[in-house]
Formats: sequence, C-alpha cells, structure tokens
Amino acid sequence: MKTIKASGIGNPIDRIEGHLKVTGKAKYASEFPVENMVYAQGVNSTIAKGKITSIDTSEAEKLDGVLAVITYKNAEKLKNYPKDMTNFSLTTVAPVFQDRQVHYYGQYIACVIAETFEQAQYACRLVKVTYEEESPDIHLDKNRGKAYKPGDSADFSRGDMDAGMREADVTLEQTYTTPIEHQQPMELHAAIVNWNDGKVKMYANQQILNQATTSISETFGIPKEDVQIITPYIGGGFGSKLNVYKHITMATMASKMIGRPVQITVTRHQMFTNTGMRQFDEQEMRLGAIKDGSLTALAHHTTSHTAKNLQYFEACGNVSKMLYKTPNNAVTHRLIPLNIQCPSSMRAPGEATGSFALESAIDELAWKLKMDPIDFRIKNDTQVDMGADKPFSSRLLVECLRIGADKFGWENRKMQPGTNKKGNWLIGYGVSAASRRAPYMKTSAKIVLELNEAALNANIKMDATDIGTGTYTIVAQTVSEYLGIPVENVKVEIGDSEFPVTPGSGGSWGAASYCNGARKACENAIAELKKKQNITESEEIEVAELLQQNNLTTFEAEGTAEPSEEYKKHSVFSFGANFTEVWVDKDTGMYRIKRMVNVGSAGKILNPKTAYGQIIGGLTMGAGMVIAERTQVEPNYGNFITRTLADYHVPVNLDLANIDVVFLPEEDKIANEMGVKGIGELGITSVAASIANAIFNATGKRMRDLPITPEKLIEAGLEPGVA
Amino acid sequence: MRPFSYTNAKNKEQALQNFTKTSHYLGGGTNLVDLMKEDVERPDQLIEVASLDYKQISKNNEGGYTLGGMLSNSETANHPDIRQNYPLLSMAMLSAATAQIRNMATNAGNLLQRTRCPYFFETSMPCNKREPGSGCGAKDGMNALHAIFGYSEKCIATHPSDMCVALAAMDAKVEVQKTDGSSRTIDFTDFHRLPGNQPEKDNTLEPGELITAIHLDEPKFSDHYYYLKIRERSSYAFALVSVAAGLQIKSGVITKAGLAMGGVAHKPWKFTDVEKYLEGKKPNKVNFKAAAEMAMQDAKPFEGNKYKVEMAKKAIIRALTQAFEREA
Repeated sequence: MKTIKASGIGNPIDRIEGHLKVTGKAKYASEFPVENMVYAQGVNSTIAKGKITSIDTSEAEKLDGVLAVITYKNAEKLKNYPKDMTNFSLTTVAPVFQDRQVHYYGQYIACVIAETFEQAQYACRLVKVTYEEESPDIHLDKNRGKAYKPGDSADFSRGDMDAGMREADVTLEQTYTTPIEHQQPMELHAAIVNWNDGKVKMYANQQILNQATTSISETFGIPKEDVQIITPYIGGGFGSKLNVYKHITMATMASKMIGRPVQITVTRHQMFTNTGMRQFDEQEMRLGAIKDGSLTALAHHTTSHTAKNLQYFEACGNVSKMLYKTPNNAVTHRLIPLNIQCPSSMRAPGEATGSFALESAIDELAWKLKMDPIDFRIKNDTQVDMGADKPFSSRLLVECLRIGADKFGWENRKMQPGTNKKGNWLIGYGVSAASRRAPYMKTSAKIVLELNEAALNANIKMDATDIGTGTYTIVAQTVSEYLGIPVENVKVEIGDSEFPVTPGSGGSWGAASYCNGARKACENAIAELKKKQNITESEEIEVAELLQQNNLTTFEAEGTAEPSEEYKKHSVFSFGANFTEVWVDKDTGMYRIKRMVNVGSAGKILNPKTAYGQIIGGLTMGAGMVIAERTQVEPNYGNFITRTLADYHVPVNLDLANIDVVFLPEEDKIANEMGVKGIGELGITSVAASIANAIFNATGKRMRDLPITPEKLIEAGLEPGVA
Repeated sequence: MRPFSYTNAKNKEQALQNFTKTSHYLGGGTNLVDLMKEDVERPDQLIEVASLDYKQISKNNEGGYTLGGMLSNSETANHPDIRQNYPLLSMAMLSAATAQIRNMATNAGNLLQRTRCPYFFETSMPCNKREPGSGCGAKDGMNALHAIFGYSEKCIATHPSDMCVALAAMDAKVEVQKTDGSSRTIDFTDFHRLPGNQPEKDNTLEPGELITAIHLDEPKFSDHYYYLKIRERSSYAFALVSVAAGLQIKSGVITKAGLAMGGVAHKPWKFTDVEKYLEGKKPNKVNFKAAAEMAMQDAKPFEGNKYKVEMAKKAIIRALTQAFEREA
C-alpha cells in the first residue's frame, strides 16, 4: 500500500518558487539582462476613427539616443487580417502600421526606438500626427441596427420557449448589464525581443506559448520553429496575456530593423487601450416557473460589441444551457461593431458575466415564487447537461449549496428585505450557484531522472506557464507523488516554447493538463525502466532501485496525456456556491461585504494552499465587478476616461472581510486520471450575483447594472412587493 | 517625461531665489510627479522643498496650533495634539488616499492638489484648466465627478482634497513666503478660487509663493465632529461627495457650527449661511434636515452628477448627526 507523502499531491505545501519571488530573484519578462539592448515605446492614436494624413517624426528623431521611429511609412509588410470580419483567436496575427487607418482610440500609430526607456518615452511625445477624422461608432444604442450573429455557436435552443412561458405560473423578464472591464494584471505586458538571422527569440509574458509562436510566425511569415518564447514567471494575466498583442510585433519589427535586442514595456495606460478587455454585455433574461418551483422556460439573449475588423464574444448565455433543468431554453448572442479595441477573454469569459444575469434572475424568480432561493435551485438541479445532451462527469452543486448554507448560517436570513438592521446598517444575505467548465487537453512533458548517491532527483520540462497560480508547485508535487521522491528533489522547468507542448495557462485547463502530462512522463519512465528488467507493471519498486538495477545513473522519458473517450462522452464542469453577507448604509449607498463563504467541488485539490489563493483571488475579482470595476467610454471622443488604476477601481483590503473557502472532497476520474479539475475561474463565477442578491435582501433594491456604486443605490427604488 | 532640472533647496532663500516662471516646487511629489508622467505638468525646473525646516507642529499666539507646510500628512494627522484638539482635521486627513501616499504627501502640497477631472489628465482631450482656450470636455461629456456649485462655462472641475474640506470648516489660515522675502497670511476660504475665466488658476498664490504653514485658531469641534466621505471603495478613492461637520454644543444648543463639503466645487465648499443658521438651534433631526435643504438649494448639477444633490443632503444630515451623537 502506498503511504501518503508529505510533499505529494493534496498537501498544502508552500510554493516552491515563493522565496524567489518575494526576494526579487524570479525574473519576469522585462528583467532579463540582455546586452546591447534598446527600448521601444508605442505612440497611440488620439482619435477613434479616421485616416492619418501626416506623421512628422523629425523632432523625435533629432533627440539624443533615438535610433528610429517606425510608422506606416517605413514599416515592413506583414500578414494582415483578412478583409472580412475574423475571429480574434489565440493564433490570430498581430499586424501593426500596415496602413493609415485608425479604427479605435489608442491604436498604435508609431513606435520609437531609443537607447534608453526615458528617451523613448520622451520622443513619443514629439511625434506629430494629423488626421482626417471621421465620426466614430461608439454608442451601442445608436448602432443597434448593425447587430449581427457571430457564427453558428452563437445561438442555441431546446423545446419551445414561448410554450414554456405560457405554461408558467410566475414569469420574469429583466435586463442586466455588465460594463467593459480590464484585466490589469500587476505585471505590465512586456517583451525583450532579439531578431537574429531570420530567427526570433524573446522573453515575453505570454500565457500560452505554443499558440503565441504560431501567431508571431504567421505575422512575420517565418517558420514556427524559428520563434522561441521564454517566460519563466508571469505576474498575472487574467486572460490579457492569452493573445499576441501588437507590442510584440513592434518590438520584433524594431529588432529586425535595428539589429539589436529590443525591450518594450506596455504602460499602464496602454494596458487599457492595447491589451484586450472584457466587453460590455447587455443580457435579457426570460424565465418561467410553475408554483412548485420547476422551471418551465429560460432564455438568455446577449448583445455586445466587437471591433470593426476583429470579432470576439464572451458566451454569456452558455451557463443558461447547462446549470438548471429547463425543458425550454433559448440562447442568443449578438455583436455590434464599434470603434473600440477588440474585446478578449477576461477571467471566466461568459461565466463571470453570464452567471451574474442568470443567478440574479433566479433569485428574482425565487422571490416572486416566495421560495427560498436555495430550495429553488435544488428543485431545478440536473445531473445531465441539457445543453450538450451529456451527463455531467460529476456534479455536487446541491451539496455545495447545502454545506455552504450550513457553514454560512443561512437559516438566520430574513426573507423580507430591509428587516435585518443594526444602527444605520441594513444587513442582507445572498446566495448564488457557480459553474465553470473544467477542460483538460493534450499535454506533453519530458522527465530526466538522475541518481546521485542513493538519492533520486528529477527534472521535468514542459512549455507550461505559471501566471502566479502555482504551476511550479503542483507540477513538483505531481512528480513527487508519482516518483515517490521529496519535492525538494524535483526541479521544474517551464516557460520555454522549446520544451514539450502543453495547452498553456488559460480557461482553467492548466492544472489538470500540466499535472496529467507530468504524471504520464513519470509513469512512462517507470514503465520503460521496468520493461528493460522484465519487471511486471504491478510490482512495487522504488524508482532509484529501478535505475540501479538497470545500471543507470540518468534516464529520460517523455509522456503525453490526453482526454479519454469517457471524458468526451461527458460534460466536465467544476461547481460551487457563493454566500455573501453585506451591510448597506441606509442613507449613503455605501456598503461593506462583511463575509463570504465559497464552497467548491472541483475534483481533487492538488494543493489546498494554492487552491485557496485561487479562490480568494476569484472572489475578490468578483467583488470588484460589483463594487466599482468599470471602464467608461467617453461619449464624444471614444477614449476610455478611466485610464489609470487611480480611477479604475479594483477592491482594496477594506472592501472585503472574512472569506471562508471550502473544497468538497472529490476525485473525478472521468475528468482525467488524476481526478483534477481547474479552479482558476470557478472562484469569480457568480460572486457578483451573490453580492447583488444580498444587497436586495438588505435593501429591497434590485441592482441589475454593474457595478453597484453608491450613486446607483441612492437613486434606485424599492422592488414591488417590498414593504 | 520631459527633461527637467532638479534643485534641492537647502533653505527657504534658495528655494525662492531659484524660482522662475517655469519652475515648480516639489513636495512629496504624489500628485506633481504623476502629472509630469502624464505630460500634464511640464516644468523646466523642480525645486525640492520637502526637506525645508517647516516640519513642526507648535502652539501659536491665537491659542491654537501651527502646522508646518513640509510636514507629512501622516505625521500631522497622527500627532497627539492634532488628534486631541482638531480631531475633525485628523479624521479628514486619514480618509485620504493610502497610508503610503499620506507618508509622502506634505501639508502644503495637499492644498495644491490638482483636480482629478479625467479631461484634465488626458492631454488629447480639451481642458481649459490644462490648456486655456481648448474648451471644457466635461461639460457635455462625462461629468459624474464634477461640480454642482460655483463652476463656470470654462470649467466644472472639483478640488479633490479631504484635508482642505476640514480646514474650510475650521476657518484655518495659510501662511506663504513671497519671493521678495516677505510673507503674508491668507484666510483659508480665500486660498482656493472658483474657475471663472481663469480655470488654470486653482488658487490665489502668486508665482513663486511658497506655503510654509497652516494656522489653526483655538481648538475647535473636539467633542462633536465627523468627516463623512462617500466613495466607490473603502480606501484609495476620491470622494464622490464628502462632508466636514463640527459642532460646539452648550446646554443642548449649538453655539458654533462648521460645515463644508468636498467633491462639489472648484474649491472646498463652505456653507457659511448654514453654519449661521445652525447656531442657536437645537441639534436635532429637523434642524439638520433644514440645514441640508438650505445647503443644496442653489445646487445646479449636470446630467451625470444629478445624484450628488440627494447624496449631499443625506451626507450632511448624517455627518451632523454623527457629530452630535459622538460621545464627548
């Protein structure tokens, strides 16, 4: 029988790279010492639509240290976007300076290259541009006629929605909105690029290396093998570092032109205009239920915006296809092209925003039915994903709700809003159900075993990335587990596109994919060593012993893990429940989130400590959606007027109080051999609804437009039926 | 950032003598340096004055205290004499920014903070305050954070300070050194100005004048005070509206009132009439409500900041109530 190892999976060990990070020794993209390096900086357009009529770079070029200014006039020809609207994918090219057109405010129109960062920054101010300005499309409302269906996956229907509504005793029709939000990870987008003899090597904080190298190679028309990306540490991405953005292209083009390594660091201001964002979503919900609480109909229609030449939509309605047992169901997504940069994935795209609408609407319908919102959800639980017509691999949503209710003290909730008071405070409890797809993808790893005296060391390599989530640690724990050696003896090397291919970090697939890839490499190593000695697979033998029997001091093996047939026959999701207590000031509209309880069922938890960090990070970001996060578009000029972290408000410590996180014990062996599911996005999902629902319970005000700011709370009226 | 020269002034004379019309004094730099990075402020010379010897809190001849201009906001707000004698000031100052910023920011610099109007910060937008004659983008644009009192056609920006709101409620005075070596004292309510036709001028300082001290007269409102700041998050956010309320109460009657608001005008907005109205009245709900109505009767909001009128009324009532109910 196997003994539980102190450092194996499931143990809350400290991050193995933690010390390097807190002592500043972990190197991030812009920190690598590269000789002979110069600095590039992008210049942004100051109109939202039009044509550049002139660019005068002479003053900038005269400055000390300035080596070149690249504009559409001297830029090399790159592969451009197709003429028709194209999907903004992870491998989409990133052309820049290919013509004189400006499509959105803040688009790069020039790039200065100088000996120092300061010189480049100053020179950017001296580039003079004139435009032939056109009236931009900025307002969603004024452009509704241009709404279109972005592909076949945008719509879904089941049963007869209208019949379901007719059958219902109680119905709800409401619209919810969520604003443009920005990912804004702590680490700015940055790259150091060296173009050398037709090959390009760069330090760049990309979340998914294998897709990024494709994008870069296609942009420049060079073989994929000639692009190398190195990124051992990434200071957060939240989706903004999934795609390849144009600063990578600018630095690559500059290095090719100048013949020296080029560093580029995107400014915080440019992180608003040039590295993606979550789009504004308007979600119309239609729900019906009969008296006993059974849902008869559920529709979820989303209208959003995209860029003029690139298309992206977060599928807000997907959650409404699968979360509840609903015989009649309709989901649509529509996009309106605007002169605003193309939206992109931001943590739990679709789920974070879609769950706000769905889980608010469920709470509203429960209120109309005079049912407890937990009972209502349990009544409509399903073990089958009706959207995909597949059973769930596992689904413990009901358990999450029940255990959470117990831990939170849900029985103390007063059904009638405005009745739980303390001084000037109105106290409210809110709940929401969370779900997030837990994908698992083909992943390769290479392991090198080394016997040193009697101690076995292992070195594992894969092109995985650590975006601050704990990849190093969980991969080391996996290797520790499967080789039976202490974590200290495991060296994890990731973040290099020349290492074996993984799906990278994003979409909550990283942990499950990386660890199974690592597992497979370990298992292959052991199997190969056993085979050489004709040892049966089932025999228990130490790996060090195996090497000794083979007279080997080192041994290499590779492994590739991939989803099973069973996986493909199921819908694989993580589930959870959020509980929030808010205290709302009865007059000023200010409120405090007093406590949150999050219960998750997310398969086997590899490391409860890093997992806990993931969930509290998600809850905080979910709270941010409610408290203040919003990017505002200037109505006359089309720029973002929230342009720094001083006016784009993310939560501060004082905004959040006690957070309790519970993981239900679970191993989902259909999800993958290790029973692991991703949790990177589960934590943010539906948090906003639990807070909004708590605000309703406190005040009797339904807040359907995020964020819920003091001014909106002061202006909101009481919901009908609230005394 | 544009190139500039830097002079570390060893004494007051060096600071004043080195000043030219393209110089800027540098205190904690918490606002100025940001604005230089944004290309909004473009001084040719920075004269560091943060280390000048104006860092004391001392008793003055009016029976009050004088705050050194170069003392940090943290040291001022946490000073035992200030906490005890001017808790309204302390409370307002501690609601501002973050601990890190308060540690750097000086008292003089706090008075000279520039508006947080997004049109002022973005050089590609029109803004008469940043670039006289370019227009006001906020008036017909995004004006949720803007003034409801005292604005002009040229500018509808607000002053962002919390400290200054308390100082306005408390009738402080500002002492400045002139470049000719003499000094003058300005009543706090005359220090900041309304935008009128010159929104580029935030205050009544002459070029080169250096703030060295803030004078407070005898301890005020030490028993009944409250600073209420309504904001989007619990810390590190500027006020949507804020209220500094101070009361002196004797035998159940208000003998003196101090009331000023932030986030509503180009300067800290002192309600002198309302203060007079409250004096001689009983500190109760009816009078506080009447005070709030009176304070807002001339408010003229824009499309985006209509909420401020109702919010301000509620904030005034709450601040006065909290001030009154505070245990002495």
